[in-house]
Amino acid sequence: MPQMQLREALRSAMTEEMERDENVFLMGEEVAEYSGAYKVSEGMLEKFGPSRIIDTPISEAGFSGLGVGAAMAGLRPIIEFMSWSFTLVCLDQIVNNAANVRYMSGGQFKVPIVFRGGNGIAHQLGATHSHRMESVYARIPGLVVVAPSTPAAAKGLLKTSIRCDDPVIFLESEKMLNDVGEVPEGDYLVPIGKAHVEREGSAVTLLSYGRPLQRVVRSAASALVDDGIDVELIDLQTLRPLDVETILTSIKKTNRCVIVDEDWGYCGMGSGILYKLQKPAFDYLDAPIEYVHCDEIPVPFSHPLEEAMLPSVDRIVAAVKEVCYR
Amino acid sequence: MAVANELEKRSAGRKPPVEESPAPSSPAGNGQHPTVSPQTQIARLRMMMLIRRFEEQTFREYTKPGQKVGGFCHLYSGQEAIAVGTAALFDKTRDYLINGYRCHGHSLALGMSPHSAFAELFGKATGCSKGKGGSMHLFDAQDHNMGGHGIVGGQLPLGIGLAFAQQYKKTGGVTFTFMGDGAINQGTHNESLNLAGLYKLPCIFVVENNGVAMGTQVERSSAEKDLAQRGCGYAMPHYHVDGNDIDRVIAEFGKAVERGRSGKGPSYIVADTYRFRGHSMSDPMKYRKLSDGSWGPEVEEARKRDPITLFQVRLQEEGLITDSQIDELDEQVGEEISQAVQRADNDPFPALESRFEDALAETYPLEK
Repeated sequence: MPQMQLREALRSAMTEEMERDENVFLMGEEVAEYSGAYKVSEGMLEKFGPSRIIDTPISEAGFSGLGVGAAMAGLRPIIEFMSWSFTLVCLDQIVNNAANVRYMSGGQFKVPIVFRGGNGIAHQLGATHSHRMESVYARIPGLVVVAPSTPAAAKGLLKTSIRCDDPVIFLESEKMLNDVGEVPEGDYLVPIGKAHVEREGSAVTLLSYGRPLQRVVRSAASALVDDGIDVELIDLQTLRPLDVETILTSIKKTNRCVIVDEDWGYCGMGSGILYKLQKPAFDYLDAPIEYVHCDEIPVPFSHPLEEAMLPSVDRIVAAVKEVCYR
Repeated sequence: MAVANELEKRSAGRKPPVEESPAPSSPAGNGQHPTVSPQTQIARLRMMMLIRRFEEQTFREYTKPGQKVGGFCHLYSGQEAIAVGTAALFDKTRDYLINGYRCHGHSLALGMSPHSAFAELFGKATGCSKGKGGSMHLFDAQDHNMGGHGIVGGQLPLGIGLAFAQQYKKTGGVTFTFMGDGAINQGTHNESLNLAGLYKLPCIFVVENNGVAMGTQVERSSAEKDLAQRGCGYAMPHYHVDGNDIDRVIAEFGKAVERGRSGKGPSYIVADTYRFRGHSMSDPMKYRKLSDGSWGPEVEEARKRDPITLFQVRLQEEGLITDSQIDELDEQVGEEISQAVQRADNDPFPALESRFEDALAETYPLEK
């Protein structure tokens, strides 16, 4: 199996799907001549030409809505955002148009579109550029939200997302693009709506996804296993619709659960997951579910302050020990 | 200052289009155009009358006891020439139309049955959107009616997206992107016009300028009073048309259609008109009344320029229709409307379980 960067995995998914279906195109700021702000689309302009790899002016509402209209007319747009933080200026297009058009038309139209880009805290970008947008979108009926945590998942999930007939919010991280991993060749597809049990264990169910999983949760799991706590680590992969079944199966075995994200806790992504779990998991739990999240402050610029607001290995280990009464 | 004079000024004596185009080749114009048959002209008149009847019936259904039409409801009475003129140019096999929330008239003009529209207004299962859209969100995929959209200006990016797809697939189609004079002050107006001009998309932006955004007159909302100038700076022709004169609408929109089909890019047209009813059903139209509560002069002046009357008089003058034929038409559309209401009234509400349908196209987990 070839090793590649996550950025290359995304590129190969887009390239393969564009070769497979001429209705797929890529549009966004700097995606063409600049090769992508983070070089995800490097070489794609040369391969597919300017009619399918399309630079836009800085007009998020304009080009995100353009994508929705094009999808209503039968195309399959991939809309790249330089940062998901910038979608605060085009929420209306995603929430009111992409997500609602099918329902409001009584199912007359479908909106097969992928919105993708870097989500969350990408190190010292300050409060405006560090939004974790998953809880904003994962609460919207009509949208699908996915967040890969490995290069292989990035490729497989993106290919499935491009083929999906519903609008997909595809959450990457600028801090994951250089990650290297094995990526299956060819038509490798990861299902949407299925969580992945990354490590089987019996003592506690540890839930996370995307960037937080990659940044600290895997390290915390290793530390806990070294400490004799048999962690079951689940990569949620899809945040909407949530694979509650896989999570419950795990909790029935472990009777304990900790959720980790980089969102704010109140109304955060983990809060939504807790809402889905508290009733069906209640009878199986030996301790309240713990939720490790960011401090409830705007994201500070200074490196030590930013680090301090984020979930750390120590915080996760402490939370797991709390639910395990250790 | 009489607002009516302002209305006339808006329509008359404007600068010609930035770019002169040849007359449209499609069947358009008035009786002087040999390509337009009397039957076609009469069918257009009939549709305008049908839309008026539909809206006035909607008004009654909304306001009478046991109100059947719920939610917000925005009537099109007075603006019919624009929708029907557009439909005259519209090629359902390749063109698209997208709209703001004042969408009843365009939907009927493109072919939606009054029954389907009434049923949607009543929230019935037989409505065009199965009772899930309502008055502001009438969609009809068959007619390429890409919907009424409830957020002011929110439909403009979708309009350029439809036009983008037409360009991408080289269909030769054009997209009519409708908005009111209120939408031009939204940010999406700037972004969409710029993208359309930049990519040379076959998008026809139509501003239906009825002079007032909800209760705020253009004079109090736009720094530039000549609204065609708001289409300036985007590399596209921008001009006015008398939106109450269907033949002028067809002729001027026709130029934009020609331009779009031939790959020259977008156009921006301000169709000046008048809204006989309030912004929505809850609008007492104080802004049109004198201090004693009676209608101000603008209303009387606007009635004189009723697009239906103007067209009727023209067809009579051309000898295409008689008084009694107009009465007959009126009776016909009246009957059609009352039958449609009755049918929609008797239709069932959607099954409660249907509320879970149509949110997503796929079932999950999704493996492809």
